Amino acid sequence: TMLPLLPLLLPAAHAIVELGYRPVLTQTPTLEGLTTASTFVLDQPRCVFGGYDNADIWLVVALDKAASAFNNTAVPGTPETAFQGFPDPVSAYMTLNATLANYPCPKPAGDITVLRVGSETSCARDETRPTCNGPLPGPGPYRVKFLALQGSEPVAETAWSEPIMLRTAKSPSSISTTDSGHSAGMIAITTILSILFAILLAGLVAMLAFWGSDSCGGSSTFSKPESVTVRRYNTHHVYDQPAARL
Amino acid sequence: MAKSDDCVHILQGLLVFGNVVIGMCGIALTAECIYFVSNPHGVYPLLKATENNDIYAAAWIGIFVGLALFALSILGIIGVIKASRTLLLVYIILMLITFAFEMASCITAATHRDSLTPSLFLKQMLERYQTSEPANNSDNEVTKTWDELMLQNHCCGVLGPSDWQEYTSAFRLTHNDADYPWPRKCCVLNAQGLPTNLDACKLGVPDYYNSNGCYDAISGPVNAHAWGVAWFGFAILCWTFCVLLGTMFYWSGIEY
Repeated sequence: TMLPLLPLLLPAAHAIVELGYRPVLTQTPTLEGLTTASTFVLDQPRCVFGGYDNADIWLVVALDKAASAFNNTAVPGTPETAFQGFPDPVSAYMTLNATLANYPCPKPAGDITVLRVGSETSCARDETRPTCNGPLPGPGPYRVKFLALQGSEPVAETAWSEPIMLRTAKSPSSISTTDSGHSAGMIAITTILSILFAILLAGLVAMLAFWGSDSCGGSSTFSKPESVTVRRYNTHHVYDQPAARL
Repeated sequence: MAKSDDCVHILQGLLVFGNVVIGMCGIALTAECIYFVSNPHGVYPLLKATENNDIYAAAWIGIFVGLALFALSILGIIGVIKASRTLLLVYIILMLITFAFEMASCITAATHRDSLTPSLFLKQMLERYQTSEPANNSDNEVTKTWDELMLQNHCCGVLGPSDWQEYTSAFRLTHNDADYPWPRKCCVLNAQGLPTNLDACKLGVPDYYNSNGCYDAISGPVNAHAWGVAWFGFAILCWTFCVLLGTMFYWSGIEY
């Protein structure tokens, strides 16, 4: 029984290397979908795991409060680290298996090198895919770290990231549509037009009231330009009358 | 005598000129309102869905008011030249009725323009776009209109793609957040109508998705429409006011 203990002690003697890198949400370029309700985007760990050519680099996603309790000897692909069991009873799952070949160093300028956590929706309920990179079930907060496993032994790890909060969506009924004020233009139009209309009505009333009397328009009356024909009377000339009358 | 005759002729000339201007403005108002009613920018279904298409009612009133102004201006010209009390009285009364209608149209257009805020369109879009159980045909119209709007104007949502992230929506009920952070129409599409790079669009990489909101594309035409009806109508009414006052003065001076 002592024999199995020896191999176990040896890796303990080679302690896990703690790399100084801390996983971080992608800062450049600015991404609109950096955090959504069920996904977030991390920078790839380029030029971090130098020298671990044979290791599998896993991403560990944990609830913030369970991060410190995570055991590095956890084996990926088992029910204890299956995505489908997250967050209850599994408090940290392992996903996004990669090797150093996937993260070449140095990073070519202009390339966007990101990892989108939560993008695989097809295997989210598939128990046969425990390392699925499925959408996160809630707004978090979550912490992540990268863990390099050689065989099934952890050889290197990064630090835990800062807590990552995802977005929470509000209900559209919280949008208020009733507090629209009145613009100055509308108030101006209403008041001025009302005043003008009132003046016109007053003028009409005055017009009709004074229809009978001439008092207002006396000085400026003018005649209608009807054709007033003055009939010319032809006066009979005296010499036309017959002299026989006399 | 000659001086008073000159005054009369000047007044007649001014009134005839005023009526000519009213007639032309009436035709212009009719033409402008027909243009707006013909819905050149395709935003009518959105307004109809807000149950707030009084701006269109204002435009319809404007069409008929414009024609009425044209007809009445001809009546006014005849009445002024013939100096007929009856004709001018009829003219004044009908003009006042037309004035009242046009006033209603202007005020309606201005008031309802004020109620078309981004929040109104945002709420409508979230509740109706791509809803899986359309309550009536106007929901389908809303979806189609938004799709065309986002396609033609290269925009997304009302204020931006984050509208789909900040609020739950009918769209979100049928399209999960990881695959569809925002509708596919928000992505930059190629000639076949497919996203040029779907993953980049889902990430929100600049140049692969449309980052600006569609509110400007909606409010631009609606503003032009509302203020066109409201302010042009207001200008016509101010001019009509002066002409009517002059006509009333002229009328009271006619011998009967």
